[in-house]
Amino acid sequence: MAEATYKILVVDDEVDLQPLMLQRMRRDIRSGRYSFVFAHNGIEALEKLNEDDTIDMVLSDINMPQMDGLTLLEQIPSVDPNIKSVIVSAYGDMKNIRTAMNRGAFDFVTKPLDFADLRITIERTLAHLTEWRAALASRDQLVSLQRELDVASKMQKSILPTRFPQRDDFEVFAHMEPARNVGGDFYDIIQLDGGRLGLCIADVSDKGVPAALFMMSSRTLLKGASIGCENPGDVLREVNDLLRETNDTEMFVTLLYGIYDPATGDFNYANGGHNEPLLIKPDGSSSLIPRTGGIILGVMAGMEFADNTINIGPGDTLFLYTDGVSEAMNVTAEEFGMERLAGIFADTPPSDAEETTMSVFEAVHAFAGETPQSDDITCLTLHRSESGS
Amino acid sequence: MMEVTSERRGTTVIINTAGRVDGSNASDFQDALEANIGADDTAVILNLAALDYISSAGLRIILLSAKNLRQRDVGFSICSLSSSVHELFIISGFDQIIAIHSSPETALAAQS
Repeated sequence: MAEATYKILVVDDEVDLQPLMLQRMRRDIRSGRYSFVFAHNGIEALEKLNEDDTIDMVLSDINMPQMDGLTLLEQIPSVDPNIKSVIVSAYGDMKNIRTAMNRGAFDFVTKPLDFADLRITIERTLAHLTEWRAALASRDQLVSLQRELDVASKMQKSILPTRFPQRDDFEVFAHMEPARNVGGDFYDIIQLDGGRLGLCIADVSDKGVPAALFMMSSRTLLKGASIGCENPGDVLREVNDLLRETNDTEMFVTLLYGIYDPATGDFNYANGGHNEPLLIKPDGSSSLIPRTGGIILGVMAGMEFADNTINIGPGDTLFLYTDGVSEAMNVTAEEFGMERLAGIFADTPPSDAEETTMSVFEAVHAFAGETPQSDDITCLTLHRSESGS
Repeated sequence: MMEVTSERRGTTVIINTAGRVDGSNASDFQDALEANIGADDTAVILNLAALDYISSAGLRIILLSAKNLRQRDVGFSICSLSSSVHELFIISGFDQIIAIHSSPETALAAQS
């Protein structure tokens, strides 16, 4: 069966973009995966949306004559509230990105366009759109909470990156296994300038569709803030304040965000109430990285977040995880605990990010046995090569 | 397994919570807290001495209660945390926004 065709409306006043887009996306067009429609400003875009109700998503520039992208964003819901929009903005233009996110943009990409990155963003948006439509279709006929939770879990899966940096000098791998009744963990890996990498792990309180939606906005806000702010403490302050603006259900998220610089091995991080990661030395010994004292995000506006820097030396491994690991329980209601976790690394010092990540899942499953998993389990491993530089 | 009981000292209510609070019984915990707080109470002390475990879902209920009570000008504090529960309040940063005392007596003394 052929994959569904998705129609994407590209809105940009630069005339060169149209041939470039058609050229760079030609394989996806030929395979029937994407088709493109073009408009050169917001007014033209709204006309196209009115004429053609098969458009699935909008990719729009911000600065355009007649009607700009931010005004267009405001207008789109009145034409079709279920269209997902992705905004193209100048690198680091936090003010416009913020406005766009507040006006309902699903995601953004930065100029100059990286088409590989754009394709990933489009796929993620379309995956979300598919789940969103499934959620809408089943909303009226949800017969049980379980059904809703399935939807939440699929929404959760649709936003997690599944491709990881694998380089001679370092590699990253991450994995999440949802519990049946929860949808709240997520991780993200964000390419920053200067070859640096933003890493995030997070755990939303509560479960179900509301938690999944909260997770979506946390992730989007984090991505925006990580590009707009230099310092992880400022990133968390920004995300926390933005989450507070629209949070009346008192949901919250524990979130650790850090920036890894492969040139030096430095990891500069701030922690919003999340479990402290482990730094594992080449001999398998491990220790918790220092606390930074930040509060969980979404609880109270105006909080400050301190940051700290550790050095990940050659052969060292940084292991981020959620409490689904440390608090996994066995049949006698005993917790997996930090000692067992450290024991895995002591027995087999990490040398491969994927192997290390999956070995933790195996150990937790073996420990839990028949006990049903009560919380999402998420691990993210960064391994710096012994020799590579 | 969770058990909630309460005792009164004047217009202060001390709510004792024992056992485990997690995602499976967080809403029961919320109902129990509300049921134990009277309309005329001026302060609430949550005694967690017998609490073995609390998950983030349980923390959320404590946060909700703290905020609701603050809006009504009712004092709120917690006391007698085990070291593992205290650790959780420190990691989550909730110790920055909720008063924590070592015993019901010191919590009571701080109310007055």
